[in-house]
Amino acid sequence: MINAIKQKLGICKAVAAVTYKEWSAYRTHSLVSVFVGPVYFIVQYFIWTAVYGDNGILGGMELEQTICYFGVIALIGYLTMDFADWNLQMLVQTGKFLTFALRPMHHRFYALSQKIGHRILGFFLEFLPCFVIFEFLFKVDIIPPHIGWTILSVGLAFLMNFYVNYCLGMTAFFLVRADGIRRVYQLAGSVLSGAMIPLSFFPEPLCRIMMFLPFQYTGYIPAMVWTGSESIGAAGLTIPQAVMCQAVAVLLAALLSEVIYRASIKRFTAVGA
Amino acid sequence: MRYIKIYLACLKTAYSRAAAYRSNFILGNLMTLLSNVLIPLVTVLVYSNGASFPGWDIWQALLIQSVFAMSSGAASMLWGGILWSTMGHVQEGSFETVLLRPLPPLFYLAALEFDPESGGLFLGGLTMTIICTLKSGAAQPENILSAILLFLAGLAVMGGLELSMAAISFKWVGNSRIPEIADSIKEFGKYPIEIFPRSVQCFASIIIPVAMIGFFPASALLGRLPAAAYISVIPCIIFFLFGIWLYDRMIKKYEGVGG
Repeated sequence: MINAIKQKLGICKAVAAVTYKEWSAYRTHSLVSVFVGPVYFIVQYFIWTAVYGDNGILGGMELEQTICYFGVIALIGYLTMDFADWNLQMLVQTGKFLTFALRPMHHRFYALSQKIGHRILGFFLEFLPCFVIFEFLFKVDIIPPHIGWTILSVGLAFLMNFYVNYCLGMTAFFLVRADGIRRVYQLAGSVLSGAMIPLSFFPEPLCRIMMFLPFQYTGYIPAMVWTGSESIGAAGLTIPQAVMCQAVAVLLAALLSEVIYRASIKRFTAVGA
Repeated sequence: MRYIKIYLACLKTAYSRAAAYRSNFILGNLMTLLSNVLIPLVTVLVYSNGASFPGWDIWQALLIQSVFAMSSGAASMLWGGILWSTMGHVQEGSFETVLLRPLPPLFYLAALEFDPESGGLFLGGLTMTIICTLKSGAAQPENILSAILLFLAGLAVMGGLELSMAAISFKWVGNSRIPEIADSIKEFGKYPIEIFPRSVQCFASIIIPVAMIGFFPASALLGRLPAAAYISVIPCIIFFLFGIWLYDRMIKKYEGVGG
C-alpha cells in the first residue's frame, strides 16, 4: 500500500516537473496576469468605493472586505486555473487519447499531475507577483487570518475545478463537438462562482440553490474562507462548515467523474471526429 | 471603388460561410450575446441591493453598458478577426499568404475576417440601448446625432486597440493572452468616468480614450455631456491612426519562421 502511494507520488512528481519545464518556455504568457490582474483590481476598487459611498454594509459585506474579496478571487484564480476540459476534448477529437488509454496509468491522474505542475508555475509567475502588488503596492490586507483553513479550502477548490472540468471534457466522448457545453458552463461559472460579484449580492433563494451547484466551491467559498468571514453563504456557514461542504462537493465530483469515465471509455473508438 | 467591391465580396462570403453552419451561427451569436449581457448583471445586482453609482440611476448606468456592448459587437465584426488571424499566421509562419496579395495586408485581413457571429451582440446592445434610453426619458434628436458621432469615435478606439494588440503579436509570438490586455483596459469604459480619480479620467479620455466606447456616447444620449468633451474625438482618431501605423510598422518585424 505504502509502496503504491510512493509510486503514485513519484509519477505525479515526474509529470508535474515535465509540465512545469514545458510551460516555462511560455513564461512570458503567464506574466500577462501581472498586468491584467492589477488593472481589473483597480477598476473594481473604484467601482466599489463609489458604490458603497455612505453605505456601511452591502450584501452583508463591508467595503474593505469586498475590496479584499476581489483581490483574493483573482489570486485563487491563478492557483486553481484549469483547462482539463479543453485538453481532454482535444485528445478525444483527434484520437490522440489512444496513446493515454494504452499507458499503465489513469488519464485523470496524469491530467491532475499536469495541472499541479502547471499551477506551480502559475504560483511563481502569477500568484506571487500579484500577491506582492496587492499587499504592498495597493496596501490591501490580503493575508488570510486562518492560513490552515485557507490552504485547505483553496486546495479543495483546485480539485473541484479539475474534476468538474474533467467531467465536461468527457462530454467529447458522447458529442462530436463539446465546445457549446464548455462555453455554457464557463458562462454560468463566471457569474455563479462569485468571480464577478460576491454571491451575497444575489437574492437569497438563488444563493440557497447555488449551494447544490459546483460553481461557488471554486470561487466564492474559498474567497470567503480566505477573507475570514464568520458567516458564509445563504446558510450562514462557519469556516469549518463551509470547508466541510466543499470537501463533500469535491468527493461527489470525483465520484461523478469516475462514473462518467467508465461510461465514456466504452464509447472511445480512437479514430477521432 | 475597387476596395469597396472587394470588401463587399468578402462580406458576402462571410455570410455564406455562416449560413452553411446555421445552427452553429445561431448558437455562436446567442452565446456571444449572453456572455456580454452579463456585464450589466453586476450593475443590476448593485442597484437591487439599494446602492448606486453617485448621480446615475439604474437605467442611466445600464445605458453606458448597453452602448459598450453595442460597440463591442460592431468592433468584433469589423476588427475582431484581425488579431486572431495575425496571431495564427505569425505562429505558423504563413503570413506570406497575406503579404503576397495585391492588397494592403491590413485591409485584406479586415475584409477576410469580417465576423457575422458578433451581429447578435450588436443587435442585443442596440435593443438594450433603445430600452435604456426610453426608460431614461432622454431621446432628443440632437442627442441621438451627437451620440452616433461619439459612438463612431468609440469604434475607432476599439479598432485602435485591436490593431495595437495584433501588432504586438508580431513580436510576442503565439501568446493567446494578448487580447486580455486590451480587455482589461476597456474595463474603464464601462462605468461612469466620475468614479475614477482625475489621473485615470485623463488616461481614459485622452491617452487611450476608452471612455469614448460607452461613457461618452451614453452621456451624449442623456444630454449631460459638456461641449468641451467633444474634443476627446480627436484622440480617438489619433489612436486609431496609431493602431494602423503600428500594425504596418510591425509587419516589418515578421520573420516567416513561426514560433
